[in-house]
Amino acid sequence: MSVSREEVLRIAQLAELDVQEQALADLVAQMSRIIDYVAQLSAVPANGSVKPVVPGPDAIRFRTDEVTPSQLAFGPEEFAPDFKEGFFVVPKLGQFE
Amino acid sequence: MNWETVIGLETHVQLRTKSKMFCGCSTAFGAPPNTQVCPVCLGLPGALPAANGAAIGLAVRGALALGCTVHPKSIFARKNYFYPDLPKGYQISQFDQPLATSGTLSFVSPERSVVTATIVRLHLEEDAGKSIHDRFAKGTGIDLNRSGVPLIEIVGGPDLRSPAEARAYLQTLKQLLEYIGISDCDMEKGSLRVDANVSVRRAGETAFNTRTEVKNINSFAYVEKALTVERDRQIALIESGGTVTQQTMLYDAKENAVRPQRSKEESHDYRYFPEPDLPPLVLTAEFVAEQQSALPELPAAKRDRFVAAYALSREHATVVTSNRAVADYYESVVRAGAEPQAAANWVMTEALADANDHQEQLRVAPGALAQVIALVKGGTLSHQAAKKVFGEVAAKGGEPRNIAEALGLIQVADTNVVAGWVTDVLGAHAPEVGRYRNGETKLMAFFVGQVMRASKGKADPKLAQRVLEEKLAASA
Amino acid sequence: MSDAKAVADRLVKAKRLNALLTPPKDLRKSLNAQAAAARPTGVLYGMPVAVKDNICTLEFTTTCGSRILEGYRSPYEATAVAKLKAAGALIAGKTNCDEFAMGSSTEHSAYGRVLHPLDKARVPGGSSGGSAALVAAGAVPAALGSETGGSVRQPASFCGVVGIKPTYGRVSRYGLVAFGSSLDQIGVFGRSVHDAARVLSVISGRDPRDSTCEDRDSLRLPTVPESLQGFVIGLPREYFPPELDPAVRRACDRAIRLMKELGAAVREVSLPHTPYAVPTYYVIAPAEASSNLARYDGVRYGPRFNGAVDLRGLYRSTRGQGFGPEVRRRILVGTYVLSAGYYDAYYKRAQQMRALIAQDFRNAFDRGVDLLFTPTVPSPAFKAGEKLGDPIAMYMSDIFTVTANLAGLPAMSLPIGRIKGLPIGGQLIGQAFLEDEMIEAAYALERVVPETDEA
Repeated sequence: MSVSREEVLRIAQLAELDVQEQALADLVAQMSRIIDYVAQLSAVPANGSVKPVVPGPDAIRFRTDEVTPSQLAFGPEEFAPDFKEGFFVVPKLGQFE
Repeated sequence: MNWETVIGLETHVQLRTKSKMFCGCSTAFGAPPNTQVCPVCLGLPGALPAANGAAIGLAVRGALALGCTVHPKSIFARKNYFYPDLPKGYQISQFDQPLATSGTLSFVSPERSVVTATIVRLHLEEDAGKSIHDRFAKGTGIDLNRSGVPLIEIVGGPDLRSPAEARAYLQTLKQLLEYIGISDCDMEKGSLRVDANVSVRRAGETAFNTRTEVKNINSFAYVEKALTVERDRQIALIESGGTVTQQTMLYDAKENAVRPQRSKEESHDYRYFPEPDLPPLVLTAEFVAEQQSALPELPAAKRDRFVAAYALSREHATVVTSNRAVADYYESVVRAGAEPQAAANWVMTEALADANDHQEQLRVAPGALAQVIALVKGGTLSHQAAKKVFGEVAAKGGEPRNIAEALGLIQVADTNVVAGWVTDVLGAHAPEVGRYRNGETKLMAFFVGQVMRASKGKADPKLAQRVLEEKLAASA
Repeated sequence: MSDAKAVADRLVKAKRLNALLTPPKDLRKSLNAQAAAARPTGVLYGMPVAVKDNICTLEFTTTCGSRILEGYRSPYEATAVAKLKAAGALIAGKTNCDEFAMGSSTEHSAYGRVLHPLDKARVPGGSSGGSAALVAAGAVPAALGSETGGSVRQPASFCGVVGIKPTYGRVSRYGLVAFGSSLDQIGVFGRSVHDAARVLSVISGRDPRDSTCEDRDSLRLPTVPESLQGFVIGLPREYFPPELDPAVRRACDRAIRLMKELGAAVREVSLPHTPYAVPTYYVIAPAEASSNLARYDGVRYGPRFNGAVDLRGLYRSTRGQGFGPEVRRRILVGTYVLSAGYYDAYYKRAQQMRALIAQDFRNAFDRGVDLLFTPTVPSPAFKAGEKLGDPIAMYMSDIFTVTANLAGLPAMSLPIGRIKGLPIGGQLIGQAFLEDEMIEAAYALERVVPETDEA
C-alpha cells in the first residue's frame, strides 16, 4: 500500500472527515490505488523547465472600489441552520481556541 | 547569564478602501452583524472573487514606502484551514509569489539608536470574520461583516532585540502607514494587528533558537507586555533545564500571561496552492508609477528636508514630522510668515498639547499662529500673553490681535506708563533695592517680574528692564 | 411559445428516469409564474431549459445531488441562469447529477441514480446525467450541465444528444457550484446542434463577477454551412488506439468519411501527452475540489446532523454524513496531493503535465488543423453498478474528454450512430474561443450523419 492507515487518518483529520474504523481498510486500498495510478506523472521532467499554465485570462481585472453589494434575495436567517440575533451560531468555542 | 531576545513581527494592516477585497460589500466599521455580507464574503456555493483595484494600489503604496521590490507578477493562493469565521474554508492570500519582497524600515531603538529592520515580504490577503464568544450561553456567534476586508501582511525579519524595540518598530511602522494614508491603523478597531515570533539566545550566540508565535496582542499597550512575558517564560524554561517548543502562544491581557493555543488545532498544514478563481496579479509599470506618485514625502525624507530648509535640529525636525498633519501644519505656519524655529517651538509645545486634549485637532489656523508669533516678535505680546491668546483662539476662533486687545494683553510700550509701575514696585521693595545697589544685580529679574505682575502682564518686559536700570542707577 | 402546463406535463411524464429533482408541484407553480413574467422579446422566449442542480437558481433548491445541501435555496442566481431568464427562457426545474458533479454515471447522487432513457439498466453517463436524459427523452429541448472532465460530452454521447463544453472563460462560472475551478465550465445539451448552440450563445459573454471569464462579447451563432470546404480536421492518433471498440471505430470512420465527402481535409495528428491526461486530471480536480468543498462545514447553510455538540463534532458530522463516498474519496485524495511533502510530486507535476497537454493542442493547431475529431467516449452507456467498485475504471470513461478541460478548449459531442441500439457520440475539439467554427462543422456533420443507424 502506497498510502498508510496513519496517512489516511491524518489526511482525514486535515479534511475534517470522519473515517469509520470498518471503512478504513477499503479506503486505504482505494486511495493507494488512486495514488499509484496518478504517480505515473513522475514521467514529467522535474527540472522545472515546464512552466505550469492554466487557462483563463493572463491578468486579474481590477474592480472599481465602490460599495455595490450584490443583494441577497433573502437573508441568512432563511438558509442558516442556526441564526440568532443576527449571528450564525456554532457550538461554543473557548476564547483561546 | 545574559540573554538576548530575537523578535520578528508579522503585522496585518487593513487597507483604507470603501469596499471589500473581493466583493462590493462595505468595509464600514460598526454595522449590525452580518449586514455587510453577500454571496462572496459569506462563502455561498458558486460565488467567486473579483479583486478590488484600489486595495491593490494601496498595497503597492505600502510596499513602495517600505522600499520593497514590487513584483510585476504575483499570485493569489489559497490557505486552507477550518475555522467557523473563515467562510470558504480557505483564506485568499499570497504565498510563494507575493506582491513585494525585501524592504526595510528604519526606526529609533530605545537601546541601539537607529536600527534598520528588514521587511521580508508584503502580501495582500482577505480578512476573516469575527467570533463572538460571550454573547450566547451555549454557542459562539459568527459575524461576517469583516470577512473579505482587504489586508496587507507585512512580515518583518528577526531583527528586533527587545520588547521595547518591537514596540518602537511597530510605532514607526504605524506612523509610516498612517502617513501615506493607506490605513487608519487603529488597533482597537482591528485595523492593525500584530503577531510576534519570539526566541531567546545567550548573548553572543548567532544562531536562532526555536521560536514561538505570540498572538492575540489586541492593543498597542500590550505589545511590550506580551513579549516581555513570553521572553521571560522562555528564559525561565531554559534556565530550569527545559526546551522551548515551537507553538502558538495566546496572550491573555487580563492575566498578563501567555498560554499555548490548544495544540489539537495546530496541524499547520495549510495546503497552499494557486487560487484558481483569480488570474495572476499583473502590475504594469504605469500602475506602479502612479502609486509612487500618489505617495507623499515619507517621514524620513521630510525630516531631512526640514533640517536643511528650516535649520531645525534633528530632534525638533523629528517631532514636527512625526505625523503628516502636524508636518503640513508646521509648513503652513512657516509659509504664513513665521520664523521657522519659533514656529517649531510653538508647534511642538502649545499646538501639540492643545491637539492632544482635543481629538488630535489642530484648532488654531496656521495663519493665526503665525500672527501670534509675529505679535511676540514685534513686542506687542509677551510670551505669557501670547499663550493666553493662543488658547483663546483655539477655543473660540478669531483674530489674535483683536483677542489680545479685547483681553487687554497688548504690551504697554509707553515709557511714562511703565515708569509709573516701576516707581510703585521700587517703592514697595525697599530692602531689595538696597541689596541691588549693594551689587546684588541678579535681583533685576525679580524687579522685572514684579513690574509684569503690577502691569498684569501688559508691560513690555524689555522696556521695563531699561526703565528699572535707569531708576536704580539714578537714585544711587 | 410553449404553454407552461405543457412544459410541465412533458417533464413530469419523464419522471421514471429520476432525472428531475424538482417536485412536480413546485415545478408547475414556478413555470406558471415564469411564463407570466418572461420577456416576449427574448431570443429564447418560452423555451424551457432544465438546469443541473449544481447551478444556483432562485426558483428551486440547489443541492448538487448532495445531502450536505439538502433543501438549500440559494439567495442569488447564477449569471448563466439570469441570462437565460433575460432571454425569455423558462427554468424548467433542476436536474439530478453525480454529487458535486463527481462521477461519470449519475449513480453518485444522494437522490438516487438516473436511468438511461433507452435502457433503464444502464446509466445515462455523468455527471450531468439528469440533463442529458431529459433532453434525450424529449422532455426539454435544451438543458444546462457542467463540465470538469467531460460531464456534458460523455452523457451526451451515452444519451444520443448534442453536448457542448465551451472554452474556459467563455461562460461565467458565477453561481456554478465549484468542483475543479480551473476546469469547470457550464455546458449545454440540446436535441440538435442548433438548440444547444443558441442556448450557449445566450449564456456566454463577459461577467465582472467571474475573474476567469474573458472580457468578450457573447458567442455569435454561425450559419449552417453548405459544405466543409476549407476545413482541416485532425485525427489525433492517441484517440484511436488499437484496442478501441471496433464498433466505436466504425462509427467514427463513417463520420470521418462523411466529413470528407463534405469537402473537409482530414489528416492524422499526434497529441503525445494524452496518456497522462487522466492521471493529471485526477490530481488537479480533486486538489481543487478538496479546497472548494471546505465551505460545507454546517456553519452557514445546509442541514446539521447528529453529533454537532462541539465544533469538531459539527464539522465531522456535517461532512461525514453530508458527503457521499465518492466525494469523500476525492476530498481525501485532493487533500493528500496538496499536503506537505507531496505537493511537488503530485500537484506541481500535474500542473506541468497540464501545460504539456495544452502545448500538444497548440502544436496541432499551429500546423494548420482547424478542429480535431475523436470518439467522445470509448464505449456506449455501461450498466448501472458496473464500474462502481473500481474508481479507476470509472475514471477511464473520461479518457477522451478530460484533455479539452485541461487545455481549456471548446469541445462538443454529437450523435454519430448506435451500437446495439445505444447511441455513440463523436467529439469535435476546437481552438480557444473559436466555438463558431466547431459549431459550423457540427451543423454540417449533423445534417448528413445517420445518427440512429447501427455502426
